[in-house]
Amino acid sequence: MKRIITHSILLFLLLVTIQTFAQNEKVKGYRIEGDEIVFSFDKRDYTKVSKNNYYTKSDFEDIDINNVVVSGEFNNWSLHKWKMIKLNENIYELRKKINDFTDEFLWEFKFVINNYYWAEPSKEDFNINEATKNGHQLDVYNLNFTTAYVDKNGNATFKIKGYKNAQKVILSGTFNRWNEDYFNMLKTEDGWELTLQLRPGEYEYKFIVDGEWITDTENPLMNKNEFDGFNSVIRIGKLVTLRLNDNLNATKVILSGSFNNWDENNYQMIKTKNGWEYTFKLSSGKHHYKFIVDDNWIIDPNNPVQEYDYDGNINSVYIVK
Amino acid sequence: MLKITTLLFCICFANNFANSTDNVVFTKAEILNKNTVRIPFKLIDHLIVVEASVLNKTGNFIIDTGSETLLLNKVHFPSKYNHNIKNNETTGILSYIDNPLQKRLKSFNLQHFVLENQKSDIIDLSHIEKSKKMKLLGIIGYNILKDYEIFIDLYLNQITLTKVDKFGNRLDPKVYAEKIVDSLNFKLKKHTIVINGYIDNQKLKLGLDTAAEFNQINKSVNKKVLKYFVPKKRINLSGASDKRVEVLMGDLNRLKLSETIYLGPMKTMLTNLSKMYEVFGTQLDGILGYEFFKYKRTIINYQKEKLYFINYPIIRK
Repeated sequence: MKRIITHSILLFLLLVTIQTFAQNEKVKGYRIEGDEIVFSFDKRDYTKVSKNNYYTKSDFEDIDINNVVVSGEFNNWSLHKWKMIKLNENIYELRKKINDFTDEFLWEFKFVINNYYWAEPSKEDFNINEATKNGHQLDVYNLNFTTAYVDKNGNATFKIKGYKNAQKVILSGTFNRWNEDYFNMLKTEDGWELTLQLRPGEYEYKFIVDGEWITDTENPLMNKNEFDGFNSVIRIGKLVTLRLNDNLNATKVILSGSFNNWDENNYQMIKTKNGWEYTFKLSSGKHHYKFIVDDNWIIDPNNPVQEYDYDGNINSVYIVK
Repeated sequence: MLKITTLLFCICFANNFANSTDNVVFTKAEILNKNTVRIPFKLIDHLIVVEASVLNKTGNFIIDTGSETLLLNKVHFPSKYNHNIKNNETTGILSYIDNPLQKRLKSFNLQHFVLENQKSDIIDLSHIEKSKKMKLLGIIGYNILKDYEIFIDLYLNQITLTKVDKFGNRLDPKVYAEKIVDSLNFKLKKHTIVINGYIDNQKLKLGLDTAAEFNQINKSVNKKVLKYFVPKKRINLSGASDKRVEVLMGDLNRLKLSETIYLGPMKTMLTNLSKMYEVFGTQLDGILGYEFFKYKRTIINYQKEKLYFINYPIIRK
């Protein structure tokens, strides 16, 4: 009997470790910086390649790299078009705007070497799925990316208390088009948790605890959904720096706007070499603002985006999205 | 004569009675003054969606210049509300469904913005709810939008509605603080905005549709034009009538709308538009949708039959 308990505990620990390990693994092949996705190929990350249209794998070491191309669903798996830039002996990169990838939640891709060899991700990589062609499985893996992704240093941590006996808790929301498999939450001491890196914006989400959809009871923000129930709501802001050039003779410049109730004191801008700046966290959406330069209210001369307010005055406009 | 007056009175009374519940209110709108309102929208995939409440229900409405009328979703407005069976087909790329149930909204209310006697059709839009995973109360179409000048701004994610007179002149002198940099004439065919475009000197009649998630180009356009369509991938698409079709997506290059307005490459779908005559009430060579508005911050003036454009800002990071 004791043995069974020991085995069970070991098995349990093993499972927990595997899960934790798999989840904490860094995504391979890309990262997101601001509004750009950076495809990144590091040759030390790959050990196998396969020839185009032949699915037998061979060792990577035998190939001299002339060029590396990003190939995926977004460019019809072209072997030529998205050529990467060589940063050093090992690393190649290519930057694209995230906005060009918003019509799908998940995109599959791979790296092509010398327009011929596919760099094969390993089965242990975090962001992979089995490759298929015309509905048939190819027995190799593709890398994939999402504009929302698991990152322990990310900007949105989701927590649910309790449910200690649950087998599986999934986080699902508008950030992943309500996918029911992708974001497995991790067990913690008092419940479940997962941290994502999300772009600024407003998102709706729910937890799926062993198949049952649950709203976040700790979060008072909710929207009604199509099933006459509620979805929880999270708003992601970002760090923003607003700048005013020149005006170096001014003694004091204040940033005032809809985000601080048009306060005339608190947001004192800091003098720099070229002018004034202020950095702060701004919530998603549209904000009106002006600068107060030694008691004179001015609009931001470097921002063409402007709107009238209720009294017909013009304000500068900043959008976080 | 008395009879007519009595009848009119009865109709008015009935309408007023309906009015108590039939208001549509934009819950998050920024009402600038009695003539101008700014309504924030969210993008669900490529659909422009505003929040509003009607008949005590709050939810999402799609802004759709391709739809002729206001459409209400039968799922949320079932038969307990008064309506009668309508005979003709409701039009719009999102919907070509037989026999929608029609009802009349006495007023479409934006607090100070009251539109009298709006026609609305009640149809089943549950397939859009399912595919977009959203609560959809309805679709706001041409008959609501036509009395306003409409600024569709995909930079600030908002729609500005401002009242115009019958010549299309704005009643509010202070609507846009930003400069209008260009304009383009269009023809209004039934409810559809039709603009002329040119690719390789071939003239194309293009419909402008805020609810077209992808631009479309008709398969049967001149081969010279299709030379500039570069196929990229096949995708599955579900339309309003819940059918799935596979279509070819690609980039359409070198579209010219005027001497000053060039576009492209724009993500475009190759389709058979000849069957869409019913939907738009006119024969079209293509449809410009989300992708166009992504390039152009566009103001639509139905009375002047003119589009105006405001530049996207170039802002230092």
